[in-house]
Amino acid sequence: MRRPRIPRPLLAAAAVLPVLCASACTGGSAEADAGRGPVHITFWSALRGSQEVVDAYNKTHDDIHVDFQQVPSGAQGGYAKLSNAARAGNAPDVATIEYPQLPEFAIDGVARDISPMVGKRLREKLLPQAFSLTTFENRVFSVPLDVEPMVLIYRKDLFKAAGVQPPRTWGEFEDAARTVKKERPHSRIVNLPTDGGPHLAALSWQAGARWFDTRGGAWHVSLTDAPTRKVMTYWQRLIDRDLVFANPGESQQGDAQLGNGEVLAKLTGAWDAGALMSSYPEQKGKWAVAPMPQWDPDKPRVGTLGGSTFAVTKDSRNPKAAMDFIEWQVTSPDALRARLSSGLSSQYPAAPGLLPTARKAMDTSFFGGQDIYRTFRREAELISGPWMWGPRMTATLKTVQDGSARASAGSGSLLEALREGQRATMPDLEALGLRTTESRN
Amino acid sequence: MSTTTSAATHPARAGTADGLRPGRRGALPGKPGTRSAARSRELGACGVLMAPFFVLLLTVFVIPVFGAVQLSFFSDDQPGLGFGPERTVFVGLRSYQAVLSDPTFLAGLGVTALYLVIYIPLLVVAALALALILDSGAVRLRRTAQLGLFLPHAVPGIIAAVIWLYLYTPGLSPVVDILGKADITVDLLGLHTVLPAIVNIAMWSNLGYNMVIFYAALQAVPREVIEASVIDGAGPVRAALRVKVPLIRPSLVMVAMFTLIGALQLFTEPMLLSQSTPMVGSRFTPNMYIFDAAFTRNNYGLAAAASVVLLAATIALSYGVSRWSNRTGTPQEDDR
Repeated sequence: MRRPRIPRPLLAAAAVLPVLCASACTGGSAEADAGRGPVHITFWSALRGSQEVVDAYNKTHDDIHVDFQQVPSGAQGGYAKLSNAARAGNAPDVATIEYPQLPEFAIDGVARDISPMVGKRLREKLLPQAFSLTTFENRVFSVPLDVEPMVLIYRKDLFKAAGVQPPRTWGEFEDAARTVKKERPHSRIVNLPTDGGPHLAALSWQAGARWFDTRGGAWHVSLTDAPTRKVMTYWQRLIDRDLVFANPGESQQGDAQLGNGEVLAKLTGAWDAGALMSSYPEQKGKWAVAPMPQWDPDKPRVGTLGGSTFAVTKDSRNPKAAMDFIEWQVTSPDALRARLSSGLSSQYPAAPGLLPTARKAMDTSFFGGQDIYRTFRREAELISGPWMWGPRMTATLKTVQDGSARASAGSGSLLEALREGQRATMPDLEALGLRTTESRN
Repeated sequence: MSTTTSAATHPARAGTADGLRPGRRGALPGKPGTRSAARSRELGACGVLMAPFFVLLLTVFVIPVFGAVQLSFFSDDQPGLGFGPERTVFVGLRSYQAVLSDPTFLAGLGVTALYLVIYIPLLVVAALALALILDSGAVRLRRTAQLGLFLPHAVPGIIAAVIWLYLYTPGLSPVVDILGKADITVDLLGLHTVLPAIVNIAMWSNLGYNMVIFYAALQAVPREVIEASVIDGAGPVRAALRVKVPLIRPSLVMVAMFTLIGALQLFTEPMLLSQSTPMVGSRFTPNMYIFDAAFTRNNYGLAAAASVVLLAATIALSYGVSRWSNRTGTPQEDDR
């Protein structure tokens, strides 16, 4: 935590005020009730279905009561809200933090070191790949809820009409892209979103990239290592030959492209299946999930896109209760059922023991009854690589996105966007006093 | 010509120099007793009248500036990777080194420089031209024209940006729509159009305001001077450019300086546009960089250092402009 020594600007004060009020109320009641009645803990999340999960927890637990507050997603202000609250000493007991942002909240001291509270029982229930992304210097800073292997979600009907099979390799993907363009001149196989920094990360991750590395006791930054260069050269070629779209994904244009079938497929995290179901209900039965195309089919690998973790904050007065709630959320079938019952989520749980529950709870008629969780599981097993997120990932990804937006407007390239991202990241890390090294390519 | 120019410039300059001591010129030399009593009364009145100003200056400027300077030299450091416990340490110029080596900050300065180069000449020339036209009496409905031009200034910057954003956004904008029907596709928020788009918003907001300043200055030009120039054979254009404009030179310099300082603080318009076009990044201008450093990156040392750099640049540029205007002012007078 970097504490300001100057009166905070008005904007920030305005952002903190409602927080102060909210947690002052709940905080007070927690203290008063400490002796008798349930312990109150506060929980912030932007995840779909969280309210249902909290209701299910409160119904079945008498000793702990969770006060839930839906917050905006991280980029929409959820993370700013969390760090402002932490600076004011009023962070909730349990906060939801996505993988890329966890290092920054751990470094800033918002997420507490929970290693002593993570028991063997909990550890054994969760995928080790997931835990490795929440562990830094042998200290655990949060508990993974879901891991989201990147998959290819595609329009089965339009693929068939264009005479295209789901590609197994990136070579086949390029051929398929060409066929789609020939058969449907106004359509493309995918949109590589210019606002999709995490997409570029997931695609590089799959090829074995390692943007951040702490093995030498310093943050080694290398956003343009050899695997990344291979991936970016590939996609740049597809963009230059007009075989894929390159425009913002989280936009009216992006929505319209999916809605009217101009974009035939999406490279995205498993969770997105649920989002598609709720966004385009009229396309029920037309979609399917396929494994990621591979660079080397003999050595298949997959990166992840999305996924959330739960952290106990430094301000929590009841870390034990907070951990109890977290453990229930990530391992209990009741929690998963409640979350999926909202009909908006198709998360892939970090606890493999929950898979049968997920399979049963999920209505897959949108995917023509396909057993999508079986595909997810196969892909989740392929998540590999020594991937690590950086200490200021929101800012790094934002500068990469700024660069790729300029690239799509004809100035620069994807690779140049990553170079810019690295150049903009280094001064930040140095000013934070972190030990850093970098390699530029 | 030479007498009129220097006569008009010198009183103006003497006026600003003596502005803080009103009444001084009225006190005649040779009456020492009354002079000191008057002086202490004067000082007391000055103190009371100016106290609110100094209280505000201290609380909203001097103290924050010192806070920012202090913040820029200290940091809560954790050794190595940063996951350990932190302690506050003196870091010297580390944050400054980081800011000045950050290509995104330097790019922001570049954007601001380009904005200044486009905006200031455009604004000064356009406002001056309008003021001269109004002053020449060529316009009927002078009051209406003045009001119409001034009104946009009453619209807060954020509202102005919203209005223009609506006019710029394809699919919403009637302008883009009509142009589209005429087979003209324009992207008013594109890579090369977004800066002119911001200049346009600023022009719309500030043109009338600065025109009023120039117009007021023109009203103060002695009519007999203009009459003299007309008798000497100057036409309306010549009288405007060779007589009126040199006489309101101090207003020109003041407007340029205030516009410069305002432009270095460019924030509201690009911040709002950044919601709608990826061509405006989160660190588009130095002020946006500072905001991003503090509230997205939680890097207060970096934000403070960037603020101090911006403040220093503003002071240096303002000083440069006033020195330059003084220096170019003097020889011109001698030449004529």
